[in-house]
Amino acid sequence: MADVKRFSPGLMLALIALLVPALACAQGAQPIAIVIHGGAGVINRADLTREREAGYRAGLEAARDAGFAVLERGGSSLDAVTAAVRMLEDDPQFNAGKGAVLNRDGIAELDSSIMDGKTLKAGAVAGVKHVKNPVELAKAVMEKSPHVLLISGGAEEFALQQGFALVPNSYFRTESRVRQLERMKSSTSDSGSGSKGTVGAVALDRNGNLAAATSTGGMANKMPGRVGDSPIIGAGTYANNASCAVSATGDGEYFIRSVVAHDVCALVTYKGISLEAAAREVIHQKIEGLAATGGVIALDTAGNIVMDFNSGGMFRAARDSRGRKDVAIYGDR
Amino acid sequence: MHSIAIHGGAGAVPADLISRGAHYAASLSGVLDAAFDILERGGTSLDAVTTAVRALEDDPLFNAGRGAALTREGWAELDAAIMDGRDQRAGAVASVRHVKNPVDLARRVMEKSRHVLLVSTGAEEFALEEGLPLVPNLYFRTDDRRQQLAHEQQGRRVSDLMPVTSLGTVGAVARDQHGNLAAATSTGGMTNKRQGRVGDSPIIGAGTYAKNGVCAVSATGHGEYFIRAVAAYHIASAVEYRGLTLDAAVRELVHSRVPTLGGKGGIIAVGAQGEIVMDFSTEGMFRAARASGGRREVAIQR
Repeated sequence: MADVKRFSPGLMLALIALLVPALACAQGAQPIAIVIHGGAGVINRADLTREREAGYRAGLEAARDAGFAVLERGGSSLDAVTAAVRMLEDDPQFNAGKGAVLNRDGIAELDSSIMDGKTLKAGAVAGVKHVKNPVELAKAVMEKSPHVLLISGGAEEFALQQGFALVPNSYFRTESRVRQLERMKSSTSDSGSGSKGTVGAVALDRNGNLAAATSTGGMANKMPGRVGDSPIIGAGTYANNASCAVSATGDGEYFIRSVVAHDVCALVTYKGISLEAAAREVIHQKIEGLAATGGVIALDTAGNIVMDFNSGGMFRAARDSRGRKDVAIYGDR
Repeated sequence: MHSIAIHGGAGAVPADLISRGAHYAASLSGVLDAAFDILERGGTSLDAVTTAVRALEDDPLFNAGRGAALTREGWAELDAAIMDGRDQRAGAVASVRHVKNPVDLARRVMEKSRHVLLVSTGAEEFALEEGLPLVPNLYFRTDDRRQQLAHEQQGRRVSDLMPVTSLGTVGAVARDQHGNLAAATSTGGMTNKRQGRVGDSPIIGAGTYAKNGVCAVSATGHGEYFIRAVAAYHIASAVEYRGLTLDAAVRELVHSRVPTLGGKGGIIAVGAQGEIVMDFSTEGMFRAARASGGRREVAIQR
């Protein structure tokens, strides 16, 4: 008895420390989840052949599952979003990395950012022209430099110092993007909306940590040097374990002005509303109020998944440890 | 009430403050009154903050425009942003090397382009298209900044992010007689910075934010931490969603949220009714404020 009494406080703590994670695991109390997007915009069923639709779905599934595999192995949410976004960057169907839209001069200029919800550390790059996977450079900025945002030639200088191999800009340029630019240049309308395809991911890992990442080629036919919301922490990307992780896609200028990603999380924290209600308010009231379109994917530490948009569709997919596993393009599927 | 607050950066107070403080105070004082005049005459808060920041850019004492801090390679790379509280329209430029007044270019981006943020040579191309004259980079480089860069490169630094000499981002926030808010910020960034490094100043929501009925904010300090904290918008959302007073929201950001991440700096803000808040966690912040109620102050130390 005496022994038990003497050791009980320490013993109890030790037991709790051992048992709680074990129990949590057994009951699945710590869910893991990943949500990805491949951009939001006017996506007409009529415009998308069955073959192309199948291609998008396969690309989304592959990226989603690559990210989920990292989480299943016990990897970090940071590594999961990086893996998913890297795969979407390599997929020429999406407007990021290979297959990015072209600016007015026919050059691909890429932006990306990443944020760690545990430490609030962040990294971002904008206006890079020769980095195969901008999300990896954003991660290196976060982990290997004292900075958050590096742009243009300076970002590429850093990439070389970090041992990244640079690629010629032609690596990113696809036949269909060249045609898209030609079409836009010959049309008289000033619409820069042929760009729906920014990619992003948010994830929750076994340790309860959130992360978010976004990558894009921006708007087709954009002015050289134009930067949208994707590499802007708080606008296109935000993650904080205390609230949520968000990756946005849409009319970048409006998303910057509305500080969209942080706003979703601020509404959750300060107004105490659900993640779903917060995303709805930002997209369907604030963004829509500015006559802009787009969407967000969001995730919180409880594993709540939100994919919301006010455009015709959003390329998106989600998977979690509770058995959810889906992919969708249009409003309904 | 119409009111304006300006800052010339936050940081360690230089050792020779006694001898040079008077120059800084005189400059801040002149800029403050010129911008306040605009508000007195019924001008817009947007014009007042543009005028104030342009004047601070032209003054080589401050780290923006002429007299900006230099990169590792000895270049001036300038960032600026402006935001209109009426409709949250915004314009920003980053890493421009040849635009005399980056705040003017940021305003052109807001008013004449469909974009918010233009960087580097693309921003300069736009400047030329808009008829803004370019100047050689040498225009921005002063002997003082060259010396600071040499000191930094000889290892005489306080920390990676906060060299003693980093005092000097500039900014302004104002409320005009019509109740409209505006904010603008301009900087040369960190001394000895890596080429292409962009801090919080041109990031809407981090270094600059304005929304009528809520507040207008301009930040200065460890840019990286202010970006991660989404500093300016964090203050606005604390006021709008949590109902904090502007004073309390600024205090929380400056003395809790940013320090928790490891950073330091300062904020100037003007509230929906024109109330002015200026707070910082550094030794000092060059600052000045004036309001139609009669308040007028120019200060550097606490």
